[in-house]
Amino acid sequence: MAAAEKPTKEKLLSTLDDIEVLSRELIEMLALSRTQKLPQPGEDTEILDLLVQRDKEFQELMQTAVEQGKVHQEMQALEKEVEKRDSDIQQLQKQLKEAEHILATAVYQAKEKLKSIEKARKGSISSEEIIKYAHRISASNAVCAPLNWVPGDPRRPYPTDLEMRSGILGNMSNMSTNGVNGHLPGDALAAGRLPGRFTLFSSWLSLSCKYCDILTPQYPWQSADVSMGILPPHHGNDFGLEPPGHNKENEDDVEAMSTDSSSSSSDSD
Amino acid sequence: MASTVSVVEEVEDYSFLPIIHDIIKCMDKDSPDVHQELNKLKTKIQEAREQISAMPGIDMSPALQESKLRTLREQVRTKNQLLQKYKSLCMFDIPKPS
Repeated sequence: MAAAEKPTKEKLLSTLDDIEVLSRELIEMLALSRTQKLPQPGEDTEILDLLVQRDKEFQELMQTAVEQGKVHQEMQALEKEVEKRDSDIQQLQKQLKEAEHILATAVYQAKEKLKSIEKARKGSISSEEIIKYAHRISASNAVCAPLNWVPGDPRRPYPTDLEMRSGILGNMSNMSTNGVNGHLPGDALAAGRLPGRFTLFSSWLSLSCKYCDILTPQYPWQSADVSMGILPPHHGNDFGLEPPGHNKENEDDVEAMSTDSSSSSSDSD
Repeated sequence: MASTVSVVEEVEDYSFLPIIHDIIKCMDKDSPDVHQELNKLKTKIQEAREQISAMPGIDMSPALQESKLRTLREQVRTKNQLLQKYKSLCMFDIPKPS
């Protein structure tokens, strides 16, 4: 590869310097020859030839410089266009980045939703079962007092102490003592129903752990209206024999709600 | 024709031979205008230097400049192609948040 060519400006200035020097020498030589009248054999011709040559070179270089100026203008226009394209590409890059971010967020959220759906699907509970339990809970008067409840009624929205002792757990702990707790009237009659009652209570307990909101400790009958005392107090004893709210009507409703035969509380243990 | 005339004029403007010829003529005639002509030559050389310094695009050789010009043209062409490709690549619109 040829050595790097000199820039045009450098060549022009160099040629101009040569022209200046040669023209000065020529003029000085002519002035000396006129005053001293000494012959200068061919030297002045030589200088003159050099001067003409340099002048010609200078003109060619100036022509080249003018053309280079035009090319330079075109290059400036191209550089502006390159800058514009660069800014367009940067703009497009920003937009693509933004789109990528939006898509990544959407994909992540969709994946999270799918995970939640799968999780819910795995732990799904049949709506029928939930309604059945809700019916049982409401049937036991756990969320609202019975319409005929009056202050003094021993019924409560939860199994009372006596009822618990009469249940299977109570009987298990009192097995060795053999029926010391015989203070409940109609014990033998209650015994047939108590296992069912215990099952109802255990299901109530398990459900209360899941649905705490249903079983809020806001028993309306704690501040019951006195004017409600219509029924005679001995009715409370009558109701004490049966499971709270577990009357025949509610039992029928429960049976009707459930299509599964094993859902009867009196049969389960 | 006008452009040819202007080019010829430009070429003549850059020549120093007419002034040198005038100087020699004055010297031969022993004219008092010799000094004036010498000053003209000095002024013209100085103006030429200033003009050369101010001319754009002559900081490099013609070959190098041509090479840079080709590179720039190629850059513009490539970037145009790239932009065209990416603009035509987008098959969906990003919905604006309502």
